[in-house]
Amino acid sequence: MLKVENLKKKFIKQTSKNSKEEFYANKGISFEASDGKIIGILGPNGAGKSTLLRMIAGILEPTEGSIEYDGMTHEKDEIVIKKSLAFLSGNTKIYNSLSAYELLRMCAEIYEVPTNEIEKRIENISKTLEMDKFLYNRIENLSTGQTQRVNIARCLVHDPKYYILDEATSGLDIISSQIILDFIKGEKSKGKTILYSTHYMEEAENICDECLMINEGVIIKRGTPDEIKEYTKTTNLRDAFFKLIEGGKNEK
Amino acid sequence: MKSKIGLMLKKELRETFRDKKSLSMMLIIPILIPLMVLGMSALFENQMKADENKYKTIGIAYEVDEVEKGILETLGIEAVYGEVEDLSEQYKNHEIDLYITKKDNAYTINGTNRTSTSYASALVENYIEAYKQYLQTDYLKDKDIDPDEVMNIVTLDRNITEEENFFSSYVTVYALLFIIMAITVSATYPATDTTAGEKERGTLETLLTFPIKSKDIIVGKFLSVSISAAITGFLGLLLMEGALYLSSNMFTIYEGVNLMLSPLNLVIVSLVILSFSLLISGLCIAIASKCKTFKEAQSALTPLNFISVFPGMIAFMMEVKSSRILSMIPFINVTTVFTDLTNGIVDWLNIALMFISTIVVIVIVLWLIIRQYKSEKVLFTN
Repeated sequence: MLKVENLKKKFIKQTSKNSKEEFYANKGISFEASDGKIIGILGPNGAGKSTLLRMIAGILEPTEGSIEYDGMTHEKDEIVIKKSLAFLSGNTKIYNSLSAYELLRMCAEIYEVPTNEIEKRIENISKTLEMDKFLYNRIENLSTGQTQRVNIARCLVHDPKYYILDEATSGLDIISSQIILDFIKGEKSKGKTILYSTHYMEEAENICDECLMINEGVIIKRGTPDEIKEYTKTTNLRDAFFKLIEGGKNEK
Repeated sequence: MKSKIGLMLKKELRETFRDKKSLSMMLIIPILIPLMVLGMSALFENQMKADENKYKTIGIAYEVDEVEKGILETLGIEAVYGEVEDLSEQYKNHEIDLYITKKDNAYTINGTNRTSTSYASALVENYIEAYKQYLQTDYLKDKDIDPDEVMNIVTLDRNITEEENFFSSYVTVYALLFIIMAITVSATYPATDTTAGEKERGTLETLLTFPIKSKDIIVGKFLSVSISAAITGFLGLLLMEGALYLSSNMFTIYEGVNLMLSPLNLVIVSLVILSFSLLISGLCIAIASKCKTFKEAQSALTPLNFISVFPGMIAFMMEVKSSRILSMIPFINVTTVFTDLTNGIVDWLNIALMFISTIVVIVIVLWLIIRQYKSEKVLFTN
């Protein structure tokens, strides 16, 4: 189980040539993610979704708060936690000069997949994601969709327990997006925990078990898609989000 | 299970060797070294010949006989005859290289310590010596004495091997310094690519999600850049030795001098190349990893190309002698060791001090980079 408590992240922003300003990208976020659940992190650009996921993935250090994976923390068990994680974002880039096979093999070795299993895993993943035709091609020669498939494959190769997916379908065509959504559903059915950030509300509505609506660094609503729609008396998450923001403004 | 450092090194080397720019920096720059050695040697040789042939206009303030005229002609001296005052004026105006006066049988070479005068003076000494020999031989013959019995009682042969040859040490030290510069240039590109380049391309974020300690990431990157730099260095050394071998057979200025490095010197120079590759790779990675973009890193590293060579070059030009303190100063210590070696001096303590100081700097630099990679600042510089 993943447990996030009172997570805050402060950045220092250069406002003009000689002045700097502190601001909080996350202002005390808490939630839990049980095994086998897809948790949607929803909000507009600049809401603090990526900062939150980067802290959970151990790329950024929280200013305050704690993150626990089955009772383990990044401070004490960094390597063990990272072995059980896969982080994929719309901005995640992979090594273009390597072939898809070389990248997968390198990742498998880094994640300490037993040597006698590596070939078999690469073969299975390659079949599942239909990568056979370009497995030995250099990534620099692949299309955007093919590259994203390689990116998913490198997340699968060590069979992680947790997936952290940040705007993973951003900028992709409908076919490539569907491949990612199918992959998420498939992993969920295997009991994996998935944190899925997106600003495509329809997408989240279809696959998430629970949603965290985030705006300006705080959770403005948490619940299943149906609970949120019922609470806001709307028919879709998109309208629900706007209603929640308006409500927040009126409260202010 | 393979070590994480090994995996990082393999990945970095793959990227470096598949990158055309890194590869060309690594392999093309050393090719310039033999061109430099041969070019400098040709330049020196031409200059020497020009100097020898150039300064031969001699003023003569006395009457010469036919024998003297013959000797002057044989030696290629261009004689200008005149009064002392005229010749003195011509010398001041640089029209002649020196002038000779004569009182009874005493000849005097007149001039100042100009380079042209010293070259011309050697010619005049030959002329006077030849004329003296003629007169002595003639006198002995008049007295019915065999000149050989008197004049060749004592003979002198020169059997002196030159230990220090200005041209050879000049060319060798400059070639070695050029290797140092090539190592720096060769380290710059992969160091920039593996740090700021990786940040710019967005792969650094991916790398930081992998279960690898920052220490292993840095050591892998450091070793990969060092290997690229060392390949350039050793290739440069190999080509330099080839060029020195060719030069010693092609140019007369190196006559009697063993231009190539001895096996011991070759081993020491190889160790210097290795330690300098490690030092410069560490420095390049430290500087480049603080930059956000590839371009910014390249600008930040440009001064290092000058710093790596110029202090040493200046020390060599100023004929700074090696010392314990200089042996501990990075960049300068490389030149003082090279200069010592080309002059046949192997000072083990100075060499040891150079290696120790280099290792200390490398350890400090690596520690600083590892600290930086533990912090998120490596991703978000500002």
